[in-house]
Amino acid sequence: MPVADPGERSARLAALLARVALADQRAFEALYGQTSAHLHGVALRIVRDPAAAEEILQEAYISVWHHAGTYDAAKSQPITWLTSIVRNRCLDQLRRRDLDTVTLTTDDDAPAFDIADEGPTPPELLLEGAEASSVRACVETLEPAARQAIALAFFQGLSHAELAAHLRQPLGTIKSWVRRGLVRLRQCLDQTGYSR
Amino acid sequence: MDLAHPDRRERLEALAAQYALGTLRGLARVRFDRVLRSDPVVAATARDWERRLAVLAATVPGVTPSPRVWSAIVARLGLRAGIDEAGLGWWQRLGFWRGFALASFAAAVGLSVLQLLGPAVLSGESLVVVLAGPDAKPALIATAVRGEPLLTLKAVSESVPGPGRAYELWALPDGGAPQSLGVIAPGRVARLPLRRPSGEALASIPTLAVSLEPAGGSPTGAPTGPVLFTGRVERFY
Repeated sequence: MPVADPGERSARLAALLARVALADQRAFEALYGQTSAHLHGVALRIVRDPAAAEEILQEAYISVWHHAGTYDAAKSQPITWLTSIVRNRCLDQLRRRDLDTVTLTTDDDAPAFDIADEGPTPPELLLEGAEASSVRACVETLEPAARQAIALAFFQGLSHAELAAHLRQPLGTIKSWVRRGLVRLRQCLDQTGYSR
Repeated sequence: MDLAHPDRRERLEALAAQYALGTLRGLARVRFDRVLRSDPVVAATARDWERRLAVLAATVPGVTPSPRVWSAIVARLGLRAGIDEAGLGWWQRLGFWRGFALASFAAAVGLSVLQLLGPAVLSGESLVVVLAGPDAKPALIATAVRGEPLLTLKAVSESVPGPGRAYELWALPDGGAPQSLGVIAPGRVARLPLRRPSGEALASIPTLAVSLEPAGGSPTGAPTGPVLFTGRVERFY
């Protein structure tokens, strides 16, 4: 995706969403064209199942078509709003999968499809994201363990229990890494005046 | 939840963070989701976390989805696959007969308004827009004399924006982003000054729309609230 001025891109997406709220099919198609690759990437990373990611993408855009009128440009950036819709659907899907699974997947069970093998790892992505937005310093203040746990949770949708299995740490340790890491991230981001 | 208490505030922050990160799972997530829908403080806290973490999501490499995803979306929504002759809005996607009935109705209402407004308008060339909701019931009627830079809006339903809210009027150019024509002052009749004579200002505008905005109007320059009423610009000249 070419790196456009983020403010200009947001304004463009907000204008498209406003027209989608009016049931403008062309605007909907343009919105899909400009955001579907990114949202698909997000969904693939979290659910790690191409068929499920496609289904989530479909449902997410159907929801956008029906609920574009509830998007409030004063409260969030369009891409944040769209990403939240996809992430929440992914997490619902993982939750349903958790309920269907009697035992937790262990490291010995090779996942059928692991997008993480391709491209940057979650902790690398975390740092890239920071670089792209001048909050790198904040991410770097996280202890490496917390950084890794947060990255795996965020980019691959791992639960506390899955993080514990993956990182071979007790559940309580994982929970406290994540909790402290998030508190620290917030303090740092809020101090640097990082805002939307 | 009593959020004034510092401990509760911390607890909410922690829950909202876990929600946005995705580690809040199971029933806890379902419960939080439910509270979030009804409690604006909880919703705002979760949104803040989504915003903080969103900057990280921006780096996920994009993966272009298969064309079948778009086809499935179009099919499931009952939209037309090709966009060449596609309707642009619900008012254009209505069946011919319903569209015909609406147009006649709008024209009839427009005419009766012209009669109400009296000979000053009838004698001149004028523009009339009947703004109606999805139920096709007129809510506002906008009229303008072609050569004058003024729109007059008359409320014809009981619909009001509610406290702390306002109706904002938008011009919808074909294929372009909505342009604000201003906030509609409360009352039965409101006047909106235009920068140019209405005939010129609305020359390439097929449709007007009204959205629900915070008092004072959209803070962003684009509609932020739901679009409540739309209507075609009818030119009587």
